Amino acid sequence: MSEVDMAIIKPELMKSYIWLQTADGSIQQVEQEVAMFCPMICHEVIQKSMGSSKNNAISLPQRVNPAMLSLILDYCRFHQVSGRSNKERKSFDERFIRMDTKRLCELTSAADSLQLKPLVDLTSRALARIIEGKSPEEIREIFHLPDDLTEEEKLEPLKNTTDDPRIRLLNRLYAKKRKELKEREKLKNVEVEEERVDDRSVDDLLSFINGDSRDSKGIKTSKSKKKNRRRKDQQKSTSGSEATKNHNKEPNGLNSVCRSAEVGQKIQPSFGATSNLQDAEDDIFANKNEFDDADIDDEIDPALKEKLDREVEDFRRILNSNWPERMQEILSFGQERKPAHFSLNGNGSIRSTDDFAMRILPQLASQPGQF
Amino acid sequence: MDFTKLLPEDCVCLIISLTSPRDALRLALVSPALRSIADSDAVWERFLPCDYQKNISGSSSPSLLSWAKKDLYFYLSSHPILIENGTMSFQLEKETGKKCYMLGARALSIIWGETPEYWNWTDHPDSRFSEVAELRLVWWLDVKGKIETRKLSPGTNYAAYLVFKLRRRRYGFRQRTVGVHVNMEGTTSGEVRSVSLDYPQNVPQQAQERGDGWMEIEMGEFLNECGDDGTVEFCLREIDCNYFKSGLIIEGIEVRPKNVDRSTKWTNCKIHYHSTACPSGDARLKMEFVKS
Repeated sequence: MSEVDMAIIKPELMKSYIWLQTADGSIQQVEQEVAMFCPMICHEVIQKSMGSSKNNAISLPQRVNPAMLSLILDYCRFHQVSGRSNKERKSFDERFIRMDTKRLCELTSAADSLQLKPLVDLTSRALARIIEGKSPEEIREIFHLPDDLTEEEKLEPLKNTTDDPRIRLLNRLYAKKRKELKEREKLKNVEVEEERVDDRSVDDLLSFINGDSRDSKGIKTSKSKKKNRRRKDQQKSTSGSEATKNHNKEPNGLNSVCRSAEVGQKIQPSFGATSNLQDAEDDIFANKNEFDDADIDDEIDPALKEKLDREVEDFRRILNSNWPERMQEILSFGQERKPAHFSLNGNGSIRSTDDFAMRILPQLASQPGQF
Repeated sequence: MDFTKLLPEDCVCLIISLTSPRDALRLALVSPALRSIADSDAVWERFLPCDYQKNISGSSSPSLLSWAKKDLYFYLSSHPILIENGTMSFQLEKETGKKCYMLGARALSIIWGETPEYWNWTDHPDSRFSEVAELRLVWWLDVKGKIETRKLSPGTNYAAYLVFKLRRRRYGFRQRTVGVHVNMEGTTSGEVRSVSLDYPQNVPQQAQERGDGWMEIEMGEFLNECGDDGTVEFCLREIDCNYFKSGLIIEGIEVRPKNVDRSTKWTNCKIHYHSTACPSGDARLKMEFVKS
């Protein structure tokens, strides 16, 4: 039959179509009233007279792939019919958005590029409902986001606008942890073997120390950071053999004092031995007694160090698992708990990390705005 | 593959703003890219009520307008700011960002309030307002407050609370009740509740401690649907003139959203009819709701 015959018999076949071209080059024709539901297409047709033929197809934005286009057209096809009730539209919408998260994201993006606001709102609400109430881990899982917050970023200090001592303490913990991470990084990088210059025997040093006992409780470690760091660097590189040798000897800080004394000798040969040893001693005792600032010295007995490491690991586990979001949540959204008294053990370690979490959180809860 | 890369930034903003402030905080911990969006003004401005600028610019601390929106949100949810010449305070409900107001004593209409023999106006260290009303002695206790519904957040169930204290030497409240009710203009009168401001020790208390040094008692609740022009009235009344009342300090009436799960369920209802011998000859209906 000729075209004209077709037109008489089935006039509806001759309704007008708009030609659309997706980014991959494929072209399709769509009923005019359906396509015009999208503001962007509408604009192209009216303002620029595009879309009337295959050669004149409207180029759709890159974000609209054929699959998304067909979804969008389904949406438009339903909603552009004026006779539908609100109930019908609502139930269509509910069924329509039942798709996996990836497609929802693609659909939102495509609808946004076509300026189809009702669909953008619909899909955004669906995505918001997915996100609501989930923890950061779960959100990363759902959206396949890499866990690219570095360890450092996770331990970023909190802004302490009210100078809350508890937040200060927490920042110190974070700082200590960050420092440890840095140490580990350095261990991986530094390969240099330091020459052992000092030839005084261990016994000599021990007797020297024993003869000069000091009560160093309450001595502030206001030592220069540079000194500590240099000592640490050097100590790390020599610690391998030393640690195994001295590990079983004295339980307490003496062997580490020796080590640090030797190191101290290396870097400051011009200084009197006395001052170096005493410095080292001060540092160690102060380290045990005070939970001080970022400058905590790591030159302590390996057994004690292991214990501290374990505690910090536990704490870190809590930090990494649910602390960050709980912290932020609880800092901003106070929970109804009685404030607990925070206490330290004599050697500067926290009594129990879970305990710590349970105790410090309520106190932080009452502080507003930590950002 | 990272799905969020599929979305343009303003779509992500829209999605986050459709969640809640708490979710926005969590999202900031997911990844650095999300953090910058989740902390942005675009998102947090949507959590603030739409007319927040009006309230802040007319307040005692207009400089807050220059703050980052996230900081402003948290500030407003924990610090009430004074508006309307210091007679009212405004703040946000933390979880949802809905508006809360407290009508200070000066914003209320207190019968005999201007007569110094009956009511005394002083400043109080615990009060956010410059003046509180202290009841010296009165037979006719009648305190009313009202607020326009367009000031409140739409689509919210609100409750009104009387914020008060009782002096050590008070009279007329122990073992007695007062009538409170909330009335929305254009609807039928809300029920009058009989509540006890000064409870004996063995009765489950109805007045609660607020945590800022004051007590509060719920006067009633109402649903603010679209917040069109209309007013809600709050009323405290005890006009039985057989005994006098003394020793009540009123800071104001607070209006804040009510969480459904925190509401008490009144299961038993005892209805008493009283006619009170009052000079004006009022016959009063007293209804007592007893929680079982």
